[in-house]
Amino acid sequence: MQKEKKSRISLTVWPFYIWTALFVALPMVYVVVISFLQRGATWGVTAQFTLDNYLKMIDPMYGAIFLEALYVAVLTTLITFLVGYPFAYYVCKLPARLRSLVILLLMAPFWINSLCRLNGWMILLKSNGVINSILQALGIVDEPLKLLYNFGAVIVGMVYALAPFMILSCYNSIEKMDWAVVEASRDLGASPFKAFLTVTLPLTMPGIVAGCVLVFVPSVGLFFISDLMGGAKTVLIGNLIRTEMTTARNWPFGAALSMMMLVVTIGIIWVYKKVSGSNSLGDLM
Amino acid sequence: MRRTFTKIGLIALALVMTLSLFTGCQPAEDAKELVIFTWEGYVPDDIIAEFEEEYGVTVTYNYFTNPDEALQRLASVDGGEYDIVINSDYTLDIARNEGLMMELDKSKIPNYENLNPVYMSQFYDPENKYTVPYVPGTPLIIYDPSRVDVDITGYADLWDESLKDSIVLLDYDRVIVGLFLKMLGYSINETDPEALAQVEQKLLELKPNVRALNMDTPYETMLSGEATVGLMFGSQVAWVYNEHPDFKVVYPKEGMGFGIDCVFIPSNAPHADVAHEFLNFICDPEISARISMDENVMAINCNLKAEPYLSEEYLNNPALFIPDEVLGEKEFIQDIGAEYAEQYAEIWNRFKQA
Repeated sequence: MQKEKKSRISLTVWPFYIWTALFVALPMVYVVVISFLQRGATWGVTAQFTLDNYLKMIDPMYGAIFLEALYVAVLTTLITFLVGYPFAYYVCKLPARLRSLVILLLMAPFWINSLCRLNGWMILLKSNGVINSILQALGIVDEPLKLLYNFGAVIVGMVYALAPFMILSCYNSIEKMDWAVVEASRDLGASPFKAFLTVTLPLTMPGIVAGCVLVFVPSVGLFFISDLMGGAKTVLIGNLIRTEMTTARNWPFGAALSMMMLVVTIGIIWVYKKVSGSNSLGDLM
Repeated sequence: MRRTFTKIGLIALALVMTLSLFTGCQPAEDAKELVIFTWEGYVPDDIIAEFEEEYGVTVTYNYFTNPDEALQRLASVDGGEYDIVINSDYTLDIARNEGLMMELDKSKIPNYENLNPVYMSQFYDPENKYTVPYVPGTPLIIYDPSRVDVDITGYADLWDESLKDSIVLLDYDRVIVGLFLKMLGYSINETDPEALAQVEQKLLELKPNVRALNMDTPYETMLSGEATVGLMFGSQVAWVYNEHPDFKVVYPKEGMGFGIDCVFIPSNAPHADVAHEFLNFICDPEISARISMDENVMAINCNLKAEPYLSEEYLNNPALFIPDEVLGEKEFIQDIGAEYAEQYAEIWNRFKQA
C-alpha cells in the first residue's frame, strides 16, 4: 500500500525533473562548457579549450569591480537587516488580522514590474521631482539636491527592492519562536535587552541568515538598479556579465564570471546550512 | 538615432496584437505576414498600421535594445525568422560578411531612386546591393546656456572644471571612446595601444564631470534638469531641442562621428516579397518624411523628394538639418573585431568603475 502510493507520487514529480533537466541543468552545462572555450573572432566561441577566462579574473580591474560589488552587497544586506528585523518583530506583535494585512501590503508591490517601481523612485528623487519640489516650496533648499545618480541612490534602490525578502524570512522565524522562553528568561532576571540578545536573537538566527542569503545573492547581480538609480556609474558583477555578453562580445568570459558567481552563491548557501543546521534549501523562505 | 519608448512601444505592441487578432479571422490563404526586428518604436506605429491596411499584411514587431545582441540573434536563426531588420551600420558590415543579408531585387522597389546618394555606397554596402538607408545620424552636444558658464564648441570643453557633476554621456563605449579618440587626433576606430591608453587617461579625468551614463534615455536626464550638458545621438539631441529651443546644439569642432542605421532583408527571410513591398513603402517621399518627423525616430531624412513634406519645426531643428560642409568628411564607427571590441569595453568598465 505504502509502496504504491510512493510510486504514484514520483510519477507526478517526473515533469518537474524533466523541466529542471531541460531548462536549468542543460543551460548550466552549456555555460560551464563555454566558460572553458576561446572567444570567436567575430562573436560566439571556437571549440578550443582554455583556462584564460578564469585566469583573467585576477586582473586588478576585475578585483576592484568585485570589491565594489561586494561592498554594495554587504551594505545592502546590513541595512535591510537593520530595517527589516525590527519591522518583522513588530509585525509579529500585531493582532493576527492586522498582521496578515501588513504581510499582504508587503507583498503587493511584487505584482508590479520592478522597473516600473524603480521609475517611481526616480520621479521622487530627480531634481525636478517630488522631494526636491517640496523642499524648494518650503524654502528648505534653494538649489535642487542631487539625490539621483550617486552611490547612495543605488543603495536606496537595492534596499527597497530586497527588503521584503529579509522581512519575510525574519518574520517567519520570529513568528515560530516560543515566546514562553523569552518570558522564562525575564522571570529569571534578564533585562529586556539581555533577553533579546541571549534568547530572541539566537532563536531567530536561522531566519536572519536565510534573509541575508536571500538579499546578498541577488544584490551582486541587479544591474538595472545601478544603471537607473546610479547613472551606470557603479559596476556590479551583473553589469559586467551583461557587457561581456553584448558589447565586449566575449561570451566565454561572461560565462566564467557567471560560474564564479555560482560558486560564491553555493559557498554562501553552504555557510547558511552550517549556521542554521538546516538541510533543506526550502527552509530559506 | 536609436532610443526606446516603453509606452509607445507597448501601445504599438498592443495595436499589432489587436490587429493580428482581426486578421486571424480571415481565410488563411489571404494572410500576408511581415516580421520586423529593430529597436522599440523605431518604425512608427501609424506607419505600420498604414502599411498593414494598404497591403493587407499582418506585421509582427520584435524589438531589441542592443545592436550586437540583435546581430547574434540573427546569426543564431541563420538569417531566418525575420523579414525586415533595421540595425547599426557596423553590424551591417558583419552581417554581410557572415552572409546574413539577401540581395535586394530593385525592380520591386521603384521608389529606390528617391534615396539620397550622400547616404549610400558606404563601407557596409559599397555597391548598394543589400541595404536601404533608414536613419543617418551624428552624435552631438547639447547644453543649457542658462546653467552653463562656459561656451561649449567642442568635446574638449567638456573637461572644464565648472561642469562638475553635470554631463550626461551616452552609455556606449564605441561612440564615446571613438569621439574622444577623434578629439585627440586619431581615428574613431583606432586600435593603437598608445592611443587607447591616452583616451582612457582623458576619460578618467572627465569622470568627476559625469552626472550619469545612459544608453536609451539620456534625453530624460537633460529634460529632468539633472544634467546641463549632454553628449548623445543626434536624434536624442533633436528631442531635447524640441522641448527646449533655448538650449544650444553644438557641432563639435574636432569633427563628428557618423552612422547610418539601415534596413535589410535577412538571407532566409520567410516573407521576402512582402519585405520588398515594405521597402518600397518606406522609400515613398511622404512616408519617409513622416518617419523622420516621428517623435520616436526624429532623425535626418535621406529621401531626395521628402523636403516638401517636412514641417518647419523639423527644418529648423539644428540637430536634424546639418549643412553638408559642417558635417565634413564622415567617419563611421566600423567593426574592429572582437578582440578590440573587448579592449574598448574594458576601458569603458574602468571609466565607469573609477
